[in-house]
Amino acid sequence: MKVDLNNYNTNEKYTWCPGCGNYNIHMALKKALVDLEKHPSEVVMSFDIGCNGNGGDKIEGFRVKGLHGRAIPFAVGCHLANRKMTVIADIGDGGCLHEGIDHLIHAIRSNYDLTVLIHNNENFALTTGQITSTTKKGKDMYGFPDGKTEGDINIGELVLSLNPSFYAKGYSNDPMQLTEIIKSGIKHKGFSVIEIIQICPTYNPENSAVILNSKISKVDVTDDIGIARKRITSKDKIYTGVIYQNKKIKDYYSLLKNRKNRNTELVNEVKSYGVSNILNDID
Amino acid sequence: MKDRLSIKFGGESGQGINSLGKFVSKALKETGYHTFAYREYPSIIKGGFASYQIDFSSVEVLSPSEKTNILVCIDKEALEKYLFNVYSRGVIFHSVKDFILSQQAEEYIKENKIKIVYIDTLAISEKEKAPKIMGNMVMLGSIWKVLGLDIKVLQKVVIDFFIQKEGIDLEAEKRCLLAGFNLDEIKDDILEGLPKVKDNKWDKSIVITGNQAIALGAISAGCRAYYAYPMTPATSILEVLGNTYQKTGILVKQAESEITAVQMVMGSMYMGCRAFTATSGGGFDLMTESISCSAMTEIPLVIVLGQRAGPGTGVPTWTGGSDLNAALYAGHGEFPRCVLSLSDASDSYTLIQDAFNISEKYQIPVILLTEKHIAESIFNLSSLPKAKEIARGLVKDGRQRYLYTKSGVSPRWIPKVGTTTYLTNSDEHNQEGTSTEDEHDIVNMSEKRMRKLIALKKEIPQPKYYGPKDPTIVFIGMGSTKNAVLDAMKLSKKKIGFLHYQYIYPFKGEKIIQFAKEKVKIVLIENNQSNGLGKLIKSESNFYISNTVNKFDGKPFFVDDILEYLKQ
Repeated sequence: MKVDLNNYNTNEKYTWCPGCGNYNIHMALKKALVDLEKHPSEVVMSFDIGCNGNGGDKIEGFRVKGLHGRAIPFAVGCHLANRKMTVIADIGDGGCLHEGIDHLIHAIRSNYDLTVLIHNNENFALTTGQITSTTKKGKDMYGFPDGKTEGDINIGELVLSLNPSFYAKGYSNDPMQLTEIIKSGIKHKGFSVIEIIQICPTYNPENSAVILNSKISKVDVTDDIGIARKRITSKDKIYTGVIYQNKKIKDYYSLLKNRKNRNTELVNEVKSYGVSNILNDID
Repeated sequence: MKDRLSIKFGGESGQGINSLGKFVSKALKETGYHTFAYREYPSIIKGGFASYQIDFSSVEVLSPSEKTNILVCIDKEALEKYLFNVYSRGVIFHSVKDFILSQQAEEYIKENKIKIVYIDTLAISEKEKAPKIMGNMVMLGSIWKVLGLDIKVLQKVVIDFFIQKEGIDLEAEKRCLLAGFNLDEIKDDILEGLPKVKDNKWDKSIVITGNQAIALGAISAGCRAYYAYPMTPATSILEVLGNTYQKTGILVKQAESEITAVQMVMGSMYMGCRAFTATSGGGFDLMTESISCSAMTEIPLVIVLGQRAGPGTGVPTWTGGSDLNAALYAGHGEFPRCVLSLSDASDSYTLIQDAFNISEKYQIPVILLTEKHIAESIFNLSSLPKAKEIARGLVKDGRQRYLYTKSGVSPRWIPKVGTTTYLTNSDEHNQEGTSTEDEHDIVNMSEKRMRKLIALKKEIPQPKYYGPKDPTIVFIGMGSTKNAVLDAMKLSKKKIGFLHYQYIYPFKGEKIIQFAKEKVKIVLIENNQSNGLGKLIKSESNFYISNTVNKFDGKPFFVDDILEYLKQ
C-alpha cells in the first residue's frame, strides 16, 4: 500500500504548548511509519495518559488511549493477539517510571516484539509540572519549592541492567535522527525501548535546546554492553542514537513451544472448539 | 442420611491425601456411584491438616455433608482433629501407631458408637518391600474391601495414574493395594449401622472441578489467550490451560501482576482475540481501574473472580461468597457491566461461554463469580452440557466506532490491515472517539453506554427455580448455596424450593415478587455475613427478605446446615 504523511495526519487541533517537543516526536513517528511503508491500518498505538497521550487523536492508525501507566501491557496484549500489526506503546517518563515501572521491567525481560517510546520531559507536564524520577535535583516543582527529596532513575541504566535487546535515545530537537531511531526500533525483532529527550518549555525550561545541543553527541549502534553503559553514564555528554542492540535474544512469542508450526495469529483462531480430547487429559 | 455415604481422608498436607481421595473418588465413579468431593487444606506447603472428603450415592450428590461416616487418617494430629467429625455409628481407620484417645475423644467415640480400626500400614508396606509412602496404598486397599467393591476397578484407576509417572515401582504399588484389600482385620460386618447406599446406576460419567470446567468452557468458546497472576482459588485454571496448551495452542502467560494480566486481556480482546483472566479478591481489587476503563473504551473484558473467606489476605484456602459487592460496584464512574455467578462444574462450563458472548456483543466488562468451594470441589457430571454458539456481534468495517444507536451497542470491528482505523478512548469521547468536554457529548455518550443494560437484561434468562409447584418455603441464593439446598430437598419431607440466581446483574426480580404474592415463606441463603444478594434484591426490586441463613466461617453450606434450618 502506498502511503505518505497525509495518511497519518488528522484534522484535530494540536493542544501542546508552543515549542513542545511532542510536535517533532509526532512528526518523526509519522515519517518513520511512512518510510517503512506502513499503512495506518497496520499500526496499533497504545497511548498513555499525559501530554504524550493527548497526541492520540493527532495521528492516524488504530489508537488506544487507555489508563495511566498501562500503555505497555495493553500493547503487549495487542501484539500477542496479532503479530501482523506494528505495535507501538507511547508513554511519558511519569507513567513509565512511576505508575507502571513494573511493566517496563518485565516487558524488557520478556522481549516482546514491539516498540516503546518514552517521552522524557523530566516531569508530569499535563498535571502542570510535578516531580518525576528524572526531574533535576533542586528544581522548584509543583508543591515542592525545594525540589525533590528522592533520588533519580537513569532510564538507560535501568534498561541496560535488564539484558535488553534494544535501547536507543533520541532527542525531540533532532527529528531526522529520531525518525531513523524509530525505524530501527520497529524493525528490531524484540522489545525496543526508545527514550526520547523531550523539550518542555513550560515546566522544564532549564533543559533548553541551547544546553542540550551543546551536550549531545551522536553514536552508532553497538552490541557491546560495556560501551553502551559508558554511553549512558557519561557526566558531560548525552549520547543519542541506538545505544545498544543485541539481535541474539529471541523475542517472546517465537520462544513459545506451543505456538511453533502454527501459521495463524491468535485473532484468526477464535471459533468453537471441541473439548473431548482435552477432557481425557484432565484427571 | 439415607442413600448417601461419606468418606473423609485426613492427614498432614503433603502426605498424599489428595491422591488417596482422587483414587477412591474415581473408582467409586467407575463403579457407578454419583460422587462429590470436597477438599480442605491450609495455606502452607507442609504440615497442618488437609482433608479430602467424598460423598457418594445412587442419586446425584452436589454438596458435602458436615461430618463423615468413614474417616481414614494417616496422621496423628489429623486424627485427633477429625475424630470429632465422624457421624454416630461411623468407622475410623487409621495408621497412627500407639494412638491414645483423649478423654474427650473417648467419650465421643463411646457416645456415638464409633468403631476404630488400626492398620499397621508401615509394617505391611515393609513386608511387601515397598517404600513407606506406599502405606497409603495399603490403606486404600483396606477401605475398598470394607466398601465391598470390586478391587479390579480400583486397581485400574491406580495403575492408570501411576503408569504416567516416571520412577514409580508399579508392582510394589499393586502388592500394597492387594495386601490392604486382603487384610484379616477387615471384617464384613464393620460397616453395619451405616446408611445403605442403593445400587449404582450412574454410567460413563466424568469428574471435574469447577475450575477445570471454566478452562474447558473457555477453550470451547474459542478463547486463545489466558493471562493471570497466581492467587488461590483461581490458580488452577492456569494449571489446566497451561498443561493442555500444546494441544490447544492457547497462549498462556503468567503476568507480573493482576494489573498487567487484565491489561493484556484488554489488549488482546481489542484486537479481536478472545482472552480472559482469573483472580481472587485482592487481585480483583487491582483490576478495578481496568474494569472502569473497559466499560468506557467499550473493549470487551472477561474476569473470573474466585471468592475466598475474609477481607485482606483473609483465609486464603477457604471458601465464601462475600465478593458480590466487589463485582457489582468495582470501578469509578457510572457504567454498564454484567455479573454472573457460578454454582457447579456444569454452569462453570457454560457461563464462561456466555461471558464471552455477552462481553463481546455488548462490549462491556463481565465478571464471573466463583467460590473456592466450586473452583476446587470435584463434581460428577453425566456429561458436559452442550457448548453454546459463539456470538461476537462484530461487523466487518465501520465509520464511527462509538456511533449512537438505539440499543447503545455501537459497531465494533477488528483492527486489521485495510479496515477503517479509529481511536479507542478512555477519555469521554464523541462518536468518532475523539476526546470531548462538550456537555451534550458527555450526556449522550453516557446514556448510549447505559442503554446496553436494557437490551442485555432482556436477553439474559430469569433465575432458575428448582422444586415443587406448591412449595411452602423457597430459598433464594446464588453460587454453591444451591447445591446444599438441592441435596436437602432429596432428604427432607418438606416442600422446599430454590430460586437460583446465576445471572445476577442486570437483575431480574419478577420471580421473587411472584413468590411473595403467593405468600410462600422466602428465605435468603448466603455464604457471607451481610447479605450482598439480599441488598441487591432490595435495591432493584424494593423487596426486603427478613429470613436469612448465613454462614461465613470459611466453609460452604453442608447439606446438614439446610436440614438443621428446616427443623426450626
